[in-house]
Amino acid sequence: MSKYIPTIGIEVHVELKTNTKIFSNSINGYGRMANSLTNVIDLGYPGTLPTLNEEVINLGIKAATVLNCKIRREMTFDRKNYFYPDNPKNFQITQNLTPIGYDGYVEIDDNGTKKKIYIEEMHIEEDTCKSTHRKDKTLLDFNRAGVPLIEIVTKPCISTPEEAKLYLEKLKELLFYTDVSDCKMEEGSMRADANISLRKNESDPFGTKVEIKNIGSISNVKLSLEKEMARQEKMLDNNESFKEQTRRFDSKLNDTVLMRVKETGNDYRYFPEPDIPTVIVTDEMIESVKKTIPMLPDERREKYLELGMSEINSKKLVQNRDLSDYINELLEEKIDFQQAANLLLGDISEYLNKTEKTIEETTLTKERFIDLVNNISNKTLSSKNLKDILSKVMEEESSIEEIIKSSNISNITDTDKIEKIVNEIIEANPESVSDYKNGHDRAIKYLMGQVMKETKGGVNPSIAMSILKDKLDN
Amino acid sequence: MRYLDKSIEEINKLLKDKKIKPIDLVNEAFDSIEKNSDLNAYITLNKEEAIKRAKELEDKEVDNLLFGLPIAVKDNMVTEGLRTTAASAILKDFVPIYDATVVEKIKEANMIIVGKTNMDEFAMGSSSRTSYFGAPKNPWNNEKISGGSSGGSATTVASGDVPFALGSDTGGSIRQPSSYCGLVGMKPTYGTVSRWGLIAFASSLDQIGPMTKNVLNNALLLNVISGHDSKDLTSSKKEKEDYTRLIGKDISGMKVAVPNYFMSDIVSKEVKEKIEETLEILKKNKVQVDYVDMKYLDNAVNLYQIIAMGEASSNLARFDGIRYGSSIEDASSIYEMYTKTRAKYFGEEVKRRIMVGSYLLSGENAKIYYNKALSIRDDIKKEFDRLFSDYDFVIGPTTVTTAYNLDDPMDDPSKSFMDDVLVIPVNMAGLPGLNIPVGLSKEKMPIGMHIIGNRFEEAKMYQLAAFLEKEINFEGGK
Repeated sequence: MSKYIPTIGIEVHVELKTNTKIFSNSINGYGRMANSLTNVIDLGYPGTLPTLNEEVINLGIKAATVLNCKIRREMTFDRKNYFYPDNPKNFQITQNLTPIGYDGYVEIDDNGTKKKIYIEEMHIEEDTCKSTHRKDKTLLDFNRAGVPLIEIVTKPCISTPEEAKLYLEKLKELLFYTDVSDCKMEEGSMRADANISLRKNESDPFGTKVEIKNIGSISNVKLSLEKEMARQEKMLDNNESFKEQTRRFDSKLNDTVLMRVKETGNDYRYFPEPDIPTVIVTDEMIESVKKTIPMLPDERREKYLELGMSEINSKKLVQNRDLSDYINELLEEKIDFQQAANLLLGDISEYLNKTEKTIEETTLTKERFIDLVNNISNKTLSSKNLKDILSKVMEEESSIEEIIKSSNISNITDTDKIEKIVNEIIEANPESVSDYKNGHDRAIKYLMGQVMKETKGGVNPSIAMSILKDKLDN
Repeated sequence: MRYLDKSIEEINKLLKDKKIKPIDLVNEAFDSIEKNSDLNAYITLNKEEAIKRAKELEDKEVDNLLFGLPIAVKDNMVTEGLRTTAASAILKDFVPIYDATVVEKIKEANMIIVGKTNMDEFAMGSSSRTSYFGAPKNPWNNEKISGGSSGGSATTVASGDVPFALGSDTGGSIRQPSSYCGLVGMKPTYGTVSRWGLIAFASSLDQIGPMTKNVLNNALLLNVISGHDSKDLTSSKKEKEDYTRLIGKDISGMKVAVPNYFMSDIVSKEVKEKIEETLEILKKNKVQVDYVDMKYLDNAVNLYQIIAMGEASSNLARFDGIRYGSSIEDASSIYEMYTKTRAKYFGEEVKRRIMVGSYLLSGENAKIYYNKALSIRDDIKKEFDRLFSDYDFVIGPTTVTTAYNLDDPMDDPSKSFMDDVLVIPVNMAGLPGLNIPVGLSKEKMPIGMHIIGNRFEEAKMYQLAAFLEKEINFEGGK
């Protein structure tokens, strides 16, 4: 146990999943030809004015709602003035004085201990353009300029790097499930900065704050905080003082690297954006946004457990939103949910990955899925049989019963039929029968193999085995 | 007599009867512009394109009163394919790729743009002498300023080159040059005319408006350029109206408030007497004229400076030499590029206002100055509201003196603001203000009356202005 107490705060930027940019009607897109998604507004041309994309306000309300924030009912935008080549107007339109959401929280579960991570505020702003440095030149791609963002700032209430990681996982899950953002850290649609300071006792003032900027993955947030803690601890132990500073995490060095020491507080000369009138958020707006919020991940996990799924299946299903949405439409059905989850996370996932399809792109309607699950639960279908017919199940329109019939695997659980086949096999293989009776256990496997061969694998092996054993032992 | 000197209705009839063609009007305009070239009214002429446009219009139906008429556009409104400089070296070679909404609208009305008029650099000034292209001259006396910042627009209309010009008014920039040059100039209610494509000076104050020799033309041009624009969130959603509809109607029974401050010692004797004379005319025609006290008017200039310069410092940040505009070539770092480009291509007044504005928004200053100014600005609005609950108009002189000499010193930066002391409160309150010429000084320089109306009451202001126009028969008006 460290003799220092860390205080951690996290700032997250997520790009909102809107069709168009926040202040212009340019497409909000990723990975397109540089500067192909721009117009005079995004480039900050003289004479241009911002418009305001209503989708952004709605997604802001949605995010504020699921992050348990209070929602600002009268808000303005503010200009944050600073010169930088990625900032086309040399001011960024943001919300300084009236962030859309404030005083919220996200609940994390740290090994069974629940903790609320408090959110100071969340505000709407525009993204900057993307700079690429090439030798002595800098290339600017304004496709990203004006993409809507929300920035979510926690209170300094996170106590461990693990909590930071759990918070980010939870945040990502919530924003992804509500379609606020696609939260792809690798594409920059979710970006995290963490700040950390150490002190000896809870009663001490906060220590010197170090910010780690633009960390590329959630696991690196945890790792970089651990590394930074170790670095600061060593310095404090040696009575070395250090200045407030900004660092970045270098994954090759596996450590944080100094970017700049903070000299004086930045002066962004904030003032209310005169080109955008006050936005009024009405009860109606909030209500209609709330109606679009689907069942959230925590509730889904609880529901799945309640319906009999294992804990691991519940977790895994929620990690796969397509499949979770799929099964959520069946929650009222009387089916074996553990079996259903096994099926979705097992053979069906395997099929979807191989064929690069989504479940909605297959012919597996909800009705056919219910039939499939029931046929497995009542042992009409073995997992071996399922593998054989799966492509038909996923690609053809005919009913599960018809597929089973046409695949010659009907009646496989019909004990009379199995008994008949077993009798035939015993009669045809007297040597193996006597081998078995003389204690050669391998002989039963041979006989079983013959049963499978005769039925082209279309028999329920456990039923066949028990009948075979029964016959031989008596 | 030139066709352009005839009334708008006469010209329209001649066009309709095919007695003249738009090209005749365009030729007359350019003959005059070229004859008056020493007045320096224009930064860029659009002759080739104007002639082409006039010929295209020959096949078109004469669909409105302004059809085929030449118009000048202040050089801070962007015009696609036509250089737009805002009178600054930083945009001296800037050719926009889109049209301002007002430009689209005058093109839709089949008006013909003859050129881009001279102005103070980025509209910062009140004599047009901060222009990178040199100051325009007053057609009434070439030794005098034509005012500013829309000085070029005032010059070209007053000299008779064209019957119409667009100006912009942040703190009097339409009304003050209109007063100095004997024109009708209207700064409409904030939000009446779209600012899309107007190179911003102070966004919460800027408004485009018409400058003409007479009231009818002014109202007709406002009809063309006004209306809601989804590209400007501050644009009013009010339905379109006909601003000429009250012209010629009886004004008796109207009530006018004259704030004592507007007739105090800040105003020259000559101007004050002319305004008093004009008020007498109103009284004789059964208009009630009351002298009233009004708070905050003497604070308006200081508040204006804080708000306008604060906003300007941010609005002009985009001129960094990266994406458009002039740029120095030999910078060794991005910050050197910024500082050298902006130091070299911005003029003195612009740099001064950017620096003061940046200072005013820095750190605690934003609270001490900017936010405080915004709150007193609300008080000014309320003060006007109080008067408008009892009166139809607030009236005074537009300027404290007539136009002064071009070679008067420019070494006192606050002088230019004091020129606008009477017009600035209107921008602060977002109200409409109009200059109507009411006579000449001994030096034969125009004197203007300032009519301030309540929000969206431009039509009523034109009614009163048209009455005075008829009564006074100002010699510059036609």
